[in-house]
Amino acid sequence: MALSLTVNGEQRSLDVEGDTPLLWVLRDELGLKGTKFGCGVGLCGACTVHLNGQPVRSCSTPVEVATGGEVTTIEGLAEEGQLHALQKAWIAEGVPQCGYCQSGQIMSAAHLLATNPAPARDDIVAAMTGNLCRCGTYSRIIAAVESVAGSSLAYDASVSGEGN
Amino acid sequence: MTMNRRDFLKVGAGASGSLMLSLSLPGCSGMPTGYKEETGEWKPDAWLEITNTDEIHFTLARVEMGQGTYTGLTTLIAEELEVDPEAITPRFAPVAPEYRNPLYKLQLTGGSTSISTSWEPLRMAGASARQMLILAAARVWNVDADKCTARQGRVFHPNGLDSMRYGQLVELASKEIIRGDVALKPASEWKYIGKQRGRLDARAKSTGTAVYGIDVELPGMVYSVVSRPPQHGGRVKAFNESEVRAMLGVLDVFEIERGVAIVADKYWRARKAQNALKVEWDNLDAFSLSTSEVFDSYRKAADEDRGKSERSEGDYEGAVKKAGRVFEAEYSQPYLAHSTLEPMNATAWYKGDSIEVWAPTQAPDLGRIAAARVTDLSPSDVTIHTTFIGGGFGRRLTQDFIEEAAAVAYRVKQPVKLIWSREEDTQHDLYRPAMLHRMQAGIEAGELSGWHHQIVGPQLLDWYVRNAAPAQYPWAPKFMYDTLGKVGLLAEGIATPKDMSAIEGAIEYPYNVDNIDIRHTHTDPGVPVTFWRSVGYSHNGFAVETFMDELAHEVGEDPYRFRRNLLADQPRHLEVLDRAVRLADWDTPVAEGRGRGIALFKSFGTFVAQVVEAGVENGVIKVYRVTCAVDCGQVVNPRIVQDQIEGGIIFGLTAALYGEITFEGGRVQQSNFHDTQLMRQYERPEVTVDIVPSTEGPTGVGEPGVPPVIPALGNALFALTGKRQRTLPLKADA
Repeated sequence: MALSLTVNGEQRSLDVEGDTPLLWVLRDELGLKGTKFGCGVGLCGACTVHLNGQPVRSCSTPVEVATGGEVTTIEGLAEEGQLHALQKAWIAEGVPQCGYCQSGQIMSAAHLLATNPAPARDDIVAAMTGNLCRCGTYSRIIAAVESVAGSSLAYDASVSGEGN
Repeated sequence: MTMNRRDFLKVGAGASGSLMLSLSLPGCSGMPTGYKEETGEWKPDAWLEITNTDEIHFTLARVEMGQGTYTGLTTLIAEELEVDPEAITPRFAPVAPEYRNPLYKLQLTGGSTSISTSWEPLRMAGASARQMLILAAARVWNVDADKCTARQGRVFHPNGLDSMRYGQLVELASKEIIRGDVALKPASEWKYIGKQRGRLDARAKSTGTAVYGIDVELPGMVYSVVSRPPQHGGRVKAFNESEVRAMLGVLDVFEIERGVAIVADKYWRARKAQNALKVEWDNLDAFSLSTSEVFDSYRKAADEDRGKSERSEGDYEGAVKKAGRVFEAEYSQPYLAHSTLEPMNATAWYKGDSIEVWAPTQAPDLGRIAAARVTDLSPSDVTIHTTFIGGGFGRRLTQDFIEEAAAVAYRVKQPVKLIWSREEDTQHDLYRPAMLHRMQAGIEAGELSGWHHQIVGPQLLDWYVRNAAPAQYPWAPKFMYDTLGKVGLLAEGIATPKDMSAIEGAIEYPYNVDNIDIRHTHTDPGVPVTFWRSVGYSHNGFAVETFMDELAHEVGEDPYRFRRNLLADQPRHLEVLDRAVRLADWDTPVAEGRGRGIALFKSFGTFVAQVVEAGVENGVIKVYRVTCAVDCGQVVNPRIVQDQIEGGIIFGLTAALYGEITFEGGRVQQSNFHDTQLMRQYERPEVTVDIVPSTEGPTGVGEPGVPPVIPALGNALFALTGKRQRTLPLKADA
């Protein structure tokens, strides 16, 4: 079926079956490989993207659900060539090990900060608990989010269109 | 590794008259080195390439799967080359003899060996290139080379003012000849080694631009999924081919050795077609046991065969007869899945006289054997492109995913990407073997007088030599592969080293006991098994360090002091033990409702002691705190050491709390992350890692964090509840 959606600010028209998970549309139809396949049933969070400002598991979101919607992926997080504050923090903190889960981790964290610019530790832990990391980078993830939380950078992230 | 520098630094004239410098391991080299005039690139050796525009490329022969080779090995070369590691672009190595792991004579990444085996060769490579650049500059300036210095990618004139970029010097440097040894920098002059540094791959991995195996994209690429027998060893009897063939997007359906492959133009269409696929399996020769029967078979084997002696000291039998008390325990540990977050996958393109494979593999030259085996090609016709790897943990040392992709590509003759689902990844893994341990100790006058450890279970090389043995003899004809595999099995020490996988960590029992008897009863129920982060140490750590805790309790001693008193001549063990205890405030009472447990284990040359503080909250085990001391010799990147140890702790806790693959009638009972749970963010304990300063040679850190944390948690729960758990995973209500 023909459908259209906005991905990272760009209108895209597609001809795919409506039950195709958004994940495979992003990866294979649109070439956005930063969003990862981990479990296929929404348990690991590696495929997390934003749909209309909400974090969703793209592996178990049929693309027809996203029709007409606005999707943001890890590739769309940077603004005007500037990395998102969280991406900078991820690099500074050296969070990734194998790195496979980190797109999803960053997308979950970005949604948290967009809705709650100064979260407490418990808020961060709760928001990040749906994202598995097999390498065990959990403490660096917390440190990276906290380094952004409450700073002016986090405010920039929230006014840049996330979570409206 | 003991290797004289002269042994591996070979300098000679290249074909074009340019200088060839290769850090060669024994064996032939097909690696073209030297200066290429048309491109302005100087490749002084197998590792480095410097262009006349100052680009520096480093060939990374140990894969990056999270453990940090991309940063750590680049740091080694950068230190001696006198450039910032950030100025170097690592590239994943092709398959070539130069890139073999000298310990295994195979190009593989495992055993926590990347830093230790690269420590000398890579620094030598960097130092040699630096020295040749200095010689070239000295010749231009007509000054004494010893008075020139190199830093930040430039050679400086003795006057300290004039300098030349490396790029300006590469053509001249390629003609220089090094006589004698090249001096490595003394530790006091290190700028990068041992200093806190970020990760060179952090940016790519934080922006979604790092290319993993699953991300490979080729023109005209199609997608494949494979249905495998639910019982290992099952064969395809029949399947509804025409029905599946009629499904939308399906291009082909056919049997391969490992099951039924579906090829479609899109991944999701292949998956939907798979839902319609009905395969009738012939399970006559298939594995059909249940987990309880596996352990029954282990107990029977243990009763019938006390096992091959792997370490014997003093007179254990005599000691135990004399002992006032004999204490025994039996531990059972389950099969464990790897659960890499990137599922198994590979992309292959068969072109008639060659095949290219893109894959997240820990052992690319075994991948060549796997691809050659299922096509009409030889290993030399197979090109393996290694990618970033979304977690390895030993799983990707076995090349079944490449074998499948190559078999499918051989049939469809166009680029094809094969992706496993999470369920397939869980159910068709090769597991950490289930193991049984029987322990016995003699106690005489309150002292430990004898130690007996009987390890019962399979060993891993039985499952591994099939592709590993031929990979060591890439010139052998294909009809020899099975023979080589069998010879590898039969002739330990010739084609393959002695298989330590069942006994490692047990035979190095460090405690000072006069009478020791350690045995392995080799029994294999037929479940596919392979290396799993920390391998044999993972189960021997639990057995040895839980039994030590039981013995401390038996003789009424503090479990820390009990261990300490038996380590008088083991200074590195003692140091980490004392540090962990200090850090954990061992002698101050633990908070109400919590228990504290300790364990000490050396693996892969690295000494690790851990103290776990745990309790039970709302019917679930809660790990509050892990304090850890580690001695891994000279540290290259303290942050990565800390992260690897902490990651190992999380990995070990996941196994201790949740890890269990079970079989019912030969079928795996688990499928996805709801029943093979991984530790989540909210469960994360506070982890402190104390690194012992050391100038000893560096040892690995990828795996050694795992083994001690499992017994340390069990010991903490015993301290809390007084109930000893001898079966993993641990239970809150045991």
